[in-house]
Amino acid sequence: MEALFYVFSIIAVFSALMVITMKNPLTSALYLVLCFFAIAGFYVLLDMQFLAAMQVLVYAGAIMVLVVLVIMLLNLSKIKKIKTDLHQLFIAVIIFIILFAEIALYIINGSLKKPTGIYTHALINKIGNTQIIGEFLFTKYIFPFEVASILLLVAIIGAYLFAKKKY
Amino acid sequence: MSINAYLIVAGVIFCIGAFGVLIRKNLIIIFMSLELMFNAANLGLVAVSGYLNLIDGDIFVIFVMVVAAAEAAIALGIAVAFYREKGTVDIDKANELKL
Repeated sequence: MEALFYVFSIIAVFSALMVITMKNPLTSALYLVLCFFAIAGFYVLLDMQFLAAMQVLVYAGAIMVLVVLVIMLLNLSKIKKIKTDLHQLFIAVIIFIILFAEIALYIINGSLKKPTGIYTHALINKIGNTQIIGEFLFTKYIFPFEVASILLLVAIIGAYLFAKKKY
Repeated sequence: MSINAYLIVAGVIFCIGAFGVLIRKNLIIIFMSLELMFNAANLGLVAVSGYLNLIDGDIFVIFVMVVAAAEAAIALGIAVAFYREKGTVDIDKANELKL
C-alpha cells in the first residue's frame, strides 16, 4: 500500500508540474489526464472505488474530451506563443511561497480530532461504498442533488448562449 | 498511510494549480490549472472523510464534480466566444469590457 501511495504521489505531482510548464496545450491536457488517473488511484487506496470510477469517467472522460475538442477546434498550436512576462512571474512566485507556507503551517501545527462517524473502512467494504453513497445522496442530500440538476441545466443554456454566433 | 501524507500531496497539487493560474496567460491552460485545484480539494475531502469515518465528504466530492462539469461547459464556451472575437486565447487581450 505504501509503495503504491508513493508511486501515485510522484506521478500526480510530476504530471501537475508538467501541466503548468508545457508550451503546447495538448501536451498539458494529456498530462492532466495522467494526473486525474493518479488521483483516482488515491481514491482506490482510500477505499472509495465508486469515486475513483467517477473520477475516471467524469474528469478523465467527459471534461478532458471537451478540453481536447476545444483545443483542436481553436487550432491553438498554430497561434504564436503567449509569453509570460517577468513582472507577473515575480508576483506569482511570491504568492506561491506564501500559499505553500500557509498550507505547510496548517498541516504541521494542526492537531487531528478523533474519528466521529460510524462508517469505518471495514463497514464500508462490508456494505459496499456505492450503496452507502447512493443512500446518502437520495436521503440526507436530496435537496443539493436536485439543485445540482438545475445547475447542469443552467450550464447547458449558458454554454449554448456563449457559443452562439450573435449575442 | 496517515492522513497527513494525503493532505501534503493535496496541498502540493493545489499550490501547483494556483501557480499555474498565476503564471500562464493561455485561457485553456488556466482552465486546466483550475481543474488541478478542484482535484486537490477533492483529494483532501476524501482523505479527511475517510479518516473521520464519515461519508459526507465523499458526497461533497460528487457535488464538486457536478460543479466542475458545469464550469467546464461554461469556461470552454467563453473560450470559443473569445477566440471568435479576438483570434487568440491570450487573456491580456481581454481588455475591452464590452459585448
